Parts: sequence; structure tokens; C-alpha cells
Amino acid sequence: MLASNSGPDIASRAALRSLMQRLPGMSTVEGGGFVEPVISSDPPSLRSAQIVEGTALRAIRIPNLSAETGSQFGAFLDGAQRVQVVGHHQGMPVVFGTVSAAVRARVDRRMITWGHQPPKVERRIFLPLRYLPELKVLGDASGGLSQSQWQIVDTSTADKNGDYPSQHPAVLLERAVRAVDQEREKLEDQLAEAWCARGEAPLYIDGGISRSGPVASSTYAVGVIKSHRTLYVEDDALRIVLGLDKGERSSVFRVSPRSRNSVMSWYLRLRDAKGHDPMWGLVRVEVAESNRPSERADEISTWVMAETSPLSLPDGRWDKMAYGVRDCEEFLRAIS
Amino acid sequence: MSEALGRVVATERKPNTPHEFHFWTAIDSPVGIGTIVRVDGAQPVDGHIPHIYGIVVEGFSYTDLQTPMHDVMGHDGSPTTAGFAATERAEIRLYTAAVLRQIPEEPLQPVPMGQVYLAEEADVQVALRMDSYLREGANTGIPIGVYRAGGTDAVIYLDADFLLGPEAAHLNITGVSGLATKTSAVEWLLASLFKHFPDEKGSIAAVCFNVKGPDLCYLDQPGKIEQSDEALYEKLGVEPKPFESVEYYAPYTAKGHALNTFRNNEALLDNVTPLTWGLREVLQFAEVLLNKDDVDAKADALIDFITMNVVDKEFTDPMLQKKHTVQSFADLDAWFRDVLQGMEKKDGESWRTHHVATIRKVRNRLSNISTRCAGLVTDSGTVSDLPFGSFADRTVYVVDVANLEEDAQDLIFARIVSKLREHLERRDLGVKHLVVFVDELNKYAPGDGADTYVRKMLLDIAERGRYLGLVLFGAQQFRSQVHRRVVGNSGTGLFGRMDPDELATPGYAVLSPATRTKLATLEKGQLMIRHPHFTQPIFVRFPRPAVMQGREGSERYPQAGEVSLEAAVLRALRPLDSTITLPWIQEITALYTEEEVIRARNATLLARPENVKAYFASQFRKAIPTQAAPRPMAGSIRSVPENDPYGF
Repeated sequence: MLASNSGPDIASRAALRSLMQRLPGMSTVEGGGFVEPVISSDPPSLRSAQIVEGTALRAIRIPNLSAETGSQFGAFLDGAQRVQVVGHHQGMPVVFGTVSAAVRARVDRRMITWGHQPPKVERRIFLPLRYLPELKVLGDASGGLSQSQWQIVDTSTADKNGDYPSQHPAVLLERAVRAVDQEREKLEDQLAEAWCARGEAPLYIDGGISRSGPVASSTYAVGVIKSHRTLYVEDDALRIVLGLDKGERSSVFRVSPRSRNSVMSWYLRLRDAKGHDPMWGLVRVEVAESNRPSERADEISTWVMAETSPLSLPDGRWDKMAYGVRDCEEFLRAIS
Repeated sequence: MSEALGRVVATERKPNTPHEFHFWTAIDSPVGIGTIVRVDGAQPVDGHIPHIYGIVVEGFSYTDLQTPMHDVMGHDGSPTTAGFAATERAEIRLYTAAVLRQIPEEPLQPVPMGQVYLAEEADVQVALRMDSYLREGANTGIPIGVYRAGGTDAVIYLDADFLLGPEAAHLNITGVSGLATKTSAVEWLLASLFKHFPDEKGSIAAVCFNVKGPDLCYLDQPGKIEQSDEALYEKLGVEPKPFESVEYYAPYTAKGHALNTFRNNEALLDNVTPLTWGLREVLQFAEVLLNKDDVDAKADALIDFITMNVVDKEFTDPMLQKKHTVQSFADLDAWFRDVLQGMEKKDGESWRTHHVATIRKVRNRLSNISTRCAGLVTDSGTVSDLPFGSFADRTVYVVDVANLEEDAQDLIFARIVSKLREHLERRDLGVKHLVVFVDELNKYAPGDGADTYVRKMLLDIAERGRYLGLVLFGAQQFRSQVHRRVVGNSGTGLFGRMDPDELATPGYAVLSPATRTKLATLEKGQLMIRHPHFTQPIFVRFPRPAVMQGREGSERYPQAGEVSLEAAVLRALRPLDSTITLPWIQEITALYTEEEVIRARNATLLARPENVKAYFASQFRKAIPTQAAPRPMAGSIRSVPENDPYGF
């Protein structure tokens, strides 16, 4: 997932002008900065998982791994989001959010945009309507806001317990950012489901696959997770995972998050971590349940290892990021 | 309409201007350096969608790689494993194009964003402003070659008004030697000119000075044409055949037996005419052969005196022993001898204000000319010249000076061009337009060095010739070393493959590095063209000339070596009368000196009489064959009287 920091485009500026007309008294933020994605408020944690390959987690060298090893991935999926506080009304944050997602297919070793589902780009304005005066209704000549391109999302609605958020600007901003996250995930899931429905070739998804049922159960979806805020190992297993050498994977285990779908998963060391932190080059792979977990894990690990070249530098996450994912991010940066 | 092949892009660092723009294409697009493209603007200007035509002058390619080190790391330092990478890096082809034309032309604005299309034939005409001179009823286009790019084949035309005048004129060709570009291009262009030069503009002919090699010696002989060339000829509307009317001129060798040309094979002599001049012709251009140290004001005055009062006139002077009628170098030498002897007798130091030292110097220098230009200058005064006054339309006159000494080349060049100029000024040359092709301008019109007569004359043609219909087609290897005013006055420039050192000179700084690189690697048959209508140079292909190339010609028609006098006379006269045989020549010339035989041959060739044999024989002075004196009859010995007491 990409958090872009490029400047506001023409459409954003038009929408801002229109919003200022509808919300008198709103002040704009000069050169408004971008808001980083919200890092989960949950602390980093270890969580146990059910081993499905053998009885205890161990390090397994991927067989037949060499520079000539090919990859069967036919495409890459990633999403991007951009969140910007563009103004305030009596201290209440006015947030613009843009989310996008794309599948970039690989044809003759070159990346092109998947032709069956165009890339998705959506824009939203996040307002705490409960704490703002009623928006004026403008005529057709109102510009960007009257058009459906910019939907307004209320960030001050009650939660499932019926509690309204506080007026603290940081809380409202966090709500807006979470809403943007969800919008992006929705777009990613739509594209992933469309790809899996066609079933042409395995899809490399930047992130997990358990959110969507059709994706989590598809043999064409492979999720590769780069961040490890939650590690699905404990005790000795943790030491084994952190001690994996390049080209080694862990045993396959099952991940069954709450309110999500169960998938098979394993850790894989893409690059030699000597001289780096223990997470260097470490990814967690998610695939649909399979009755041949060992073979499946070996096969897909081979593909993921093959995707380590070319390097995705200069991205700071290049030790874990496939070049195809970087290509998606660059593409989304260009179109959104 | 064809599919778009690119999109215009501009950034703050690399903005578009009214004269330059940038665009990207797919990696497999047919765009290259020299490709002509059309941009269709997205927004109307004054109610018109702007169309911009440009030619690609620079190309860039790069990937998203930030530093080469990343690629090394990505493949563990092993280039062989790079090929196994699952994905190729994202790559861009970014081109810079120079604007050829904007429509509408006002207001002149920076090139807008828009789709980029490969120019089609009609686009090429508009882009190069050829539409202004290819109009029905006012077509002055002369095909010079075919522009080719991505499936577009477009004929490129030069404007005759800007090639042969009066708007602009002259053409200059440059390129490295040995790639058959310069001479071939001129041969092709002359063929195209003769075919397409508009009838209403009058007649046209060409005088080509063959200064080296045999390349121009077989213009009337068919050459080998490949299929691809035939297609080009068809596209360009010219028949692939040799020139129909070609006349060759060459002086004799120093011995005077054979013509001093590569084209002296007996099979080709029918249209080869000797080029010989006498005293009068040479004296007019003595300045060409005498350097400034020789010809000071005093010597110049004496030469003028001789030209005005001595040559071709009956000259008498009390000091001289006899009347002189000077018509040849031999007569002139006799005149000098008489003058000097007279002065010695008088013990005088000057005669008619001319000092004896000046007279001796001028005698020495002038007498030397017939030696230095032997074969061209005749002692006898026989003149055989180009047909000034009766030049024929669509005819090529080749003057072969390739084997001559530099002095003789200069003399021929100076006199012929001067005569051409005189006749064109008087409008009595026989044709209205004349192209003069001179190769090796590095030698004849150098940018530095002495200010020679030949260079002055070339400058004069370059600067004023277009008003007369006298057009210079010049060629050289190093354009940078030719006089600036000669190349500067050439409205049209052709460039074949260039030497990189030459391209590094300031004159080529206006070309982009990519264009210079292309120029340094041009194939045979490719040219870059500059023409007044084209705002940027254009690359074209032209067909191989449909004439026999020099190497093939010299193999098929080997140059005849120096032969005996009789054989040389036979070779010269047989084209006039095929019944002449060597024994007949030997019989007729047996009693005469070599000089007399040569004079008779030259006179016959000049006169081209009906009865060649009779005319040739009549040129010899009557000589009574020596007869053995009748042996006196020995008188009979008188018989001794029988009674003679002293008899025995």
C-alpha cells in the first residue's frame, strides 16, 4: 500500500473551492501536509497459530532454488491512499482522501495494466458533520462538489455502541484516516475478487488475503505481508522464524483472524539478514487452504523468491517488496 | 487516421517551447532520429485545433533504476543472471523533436500537450512547406529522395526556384570519400533535374569537372540497378536509365598522342572531344598560371601589351628584324627572341618602357606555360573547345581534368567557367540554366590559404551566379574547410556520412548530438538535406544512379595506354571514318614530323570534314619524295688509236 505525498491536483483544488462556498468560515491549510496511514493502536504482539505442516514449526530450505527459478505470478495487486487535511472549521478537521488500486499484469516480462478491470481511483471528503453547521446547497454551477466525483463521508457518526466520537480534532482525523483505509481495502478486494473469478494466473497481492472470502479461498491469490506487527509464532518458534536464512521458510500454519477468513501462512526469508535487523527480508505469505501444504508452500515460496529481482529500490522497503508491487505503486502514484 | 504513437509531455525542468517539444512512445514504436511526427493539440486556439509538425532530433531511454549499483546488487554482480529476472524494469522512450511547422502559424505558442502521430505523406508535405511549391499548375518540385519512417514513404522535393534560382541557388554536398555518396548524389540529382525541371522555366544543362577518378566518365553507360532502387525510381518519377546526351572533353597527354582521360577506350571515343587551346585563349587567363610574385605591375603591363598589340596582329618595330604575326606559343617565342636580340644590339635596357629584365621574366613564364600545360595548350594555336553558344538542353558536358597537373586544371576551370559566365550574361550560351559541378572544393575554394583566381571565381558564382542561371553544385569532404561564402551561399546542403572530426567543428553545433551521430553512421544512399523551405534537416534515401560506376566502367572499358603516334591518330580519326586503317595512316604520315602529324590530326578533328582521309592528307605540306639521283652514264672509253705511242 502506498501513502502518496504528491501535491493537490486540479480536481482537489476545485473541490476545495466548492467546499469553502458551502461551508462559510472554513479556513484552509496552506500547503496542507499529508497524513500517514494510521498505525494500529494495538501494541505489537505474538500470537499462536495452528501448525498444519508437521507438528512443530521448523525451518525448511526451499528445494531447487536458483537464479534461473521462474515465477508463475501473472499479475500484482496493490492499493494506494492519500489523506490530506485541507482545512478547519472552528478547529474541526476537513480531510480529503483519495484511494486507488490497480492490477498490473505481466506480459512478456513487462508490466501493463490489467485490461479486464481498469484501475480504480476514488475521492472522498471526510467531514465531522455533527460538529459543523449545515452545508449550504449550491446550484449546478458549484463546481467539483456537485459532481459525484467527491462524496462526503461523515466522520462523526455513532459507533456500533451508539457512542459519538469526541470533538477532539485528533480523534476525528484518526476516524477519517481509518475510513480512507477501509475504502482502499474495499477497492483492493474488488479487484482481487475480479482477478480470482477469471482464474488466469496467480496474483501477487501486497498484503493479506483473508478479508475477502472469495479471495481467501482462491488458489489464484497469494498475499505477501511485509509488516509484522503481529507475529504468529511464540517461544522457540519465534526464534526459528527470526533465525531463518535466506531461501528458508517456516512450516505452514493456519491464520484465522476474528471476522476474517482462515488461510494458510508461512514465513519466508527473502534476503540474507546478517548485519540487519531480524525482520530484514522477512515476509509472511498467505494462501488459500490446501490439502498439500508443503508442496504448495515450496512452490509459492519459489515464486516469491524469484520476484526479489529486480530490486525495488529506491523504495525503503525493498528488502521485502517485489518489483511488481513497486510498479503498482508507481502506477497509482501517476494516476491518482 | 493512424493510431497515436506517443504523447507530448513537458515538465518544469524540460518544458516545451515554440521550437522544441518532448514526447514519449511505446518501447516498440517505429520512431527514431529523423522521424517526422505530427502533434494534434487538445485545446483549440482561435477556434482551430493546432497541428504541430516536428522532427525527432534526440532520444532518451531510461528505467526506474536510481543508480547502476542497484542493478548490480539485484543480480548479485552477475550479468548472466539478469536475464532470469521475472520482470523487466519499467522503461521509457522519451524523444525530443524540433518543430518544423505549426498550423496555425500565428500565434506562435509553445507546443501544447497532445497525441503524437507518425507523419503520413501528406503531413510530410505540409511539415516541410512543400505544399507551397507542389501546387497544381505551379509545381517546381524536384524529387531528391524518399523519406522513410514506420511505413511512411514520402517523396521529398526541392524547390527548383531555390535550387537553381532566382530565389536562392547552389547546392553543396559533403561527406567522407569512398562511400559513393557525393558523386552518386549529384548524378542522381542531375537525372531528377533533367526529368522534372519545369519546361516553362527553360532549358538546362550541366558542366561537370571530373577532377579525380573515373566516376563521371560513364554517364552515358547503363549501370546495375537493384530492385529496391527501381522501386525508388518509380516512386520518384524518374526512369532508371543513363543520361541520353553526354559530351566529354579532355586534353591530350603531354606527348599529344592520346587523350588524357579515363575515357579514352576506343569503344567510347565517339563523344569525346579533345580540349586544346592556343596562345590567345591562354593569355586571357595568364593570371591563373602566374602567381603574384611573378606578375607584378610591370609584368602585367607587358602581358597586356602583348595581348593587345602583338597576338593575332601584324607587329612591326624598327628594332625588330622582321614582321611578326604571333598566333602560337612558337610565334611568341620567336617574337621575344627578336625583341631581346634587338635590345642587345642597341645595348638598351628598355624597349617601349619595358625593362629588359621584365621582358626576360615574362618570356620565361609564358614560354613555360606550354610546357606546364602540355596537351592542353598547343604551340600551333589549334583550338578545340566546348560548344559555347550551342549548348544543348538536358545535356551533360563532362570536362575530364583528373589526370592533369594542377596548373592545367586551374586554367581549364577558370577559362571554362569564365566563358560560361560571359555567354550566360549575353544569354547566348544555348541554354538558360547551367549547373556547374565541381568536386574537391577543399582544394579549389579553401577557407584559408592563398586567394587564387579559381577561388575568386567560385566565390563570384556563389554570390552572383543565380542571377545569370549559373548554378554551382559543389562537393567536398570537409565543409568546414571550404570558404564560408561558398558554402554560405549554397541554398541547399546535402550531407552524406560524415567524419566525426568534421562533425566536431563549430559549423555542426546546431545539430543535436543524436543527429550528428546519425550523420556519422549514414548508410550508402542516405543523405541529410538542408533546404530553405525546411526548417530542420531531413534524412532521405536516394536511388543508386542508373549509370555505370567508375570502377565497373574502368574494368569494362580499360583506359588505353600511351600508344604510337600512328595508332593514336588512327584511334582519333576512326570515329570520323571507319575505313581508315593503320597502314594508310603510316603511309600518309611517314615523311612528316611528329608535330606536323599531330597538327594535321587536330585540324581534322576540329573540322570534322566529310572526307576525312582527303582532309587529313591535305594538312601536310607538299613534300617531293627524295629520288635517287640518276647515275651518270659512264662514258665509253675511247678506244686508243692503234698508232698511239702512249697507249697501252
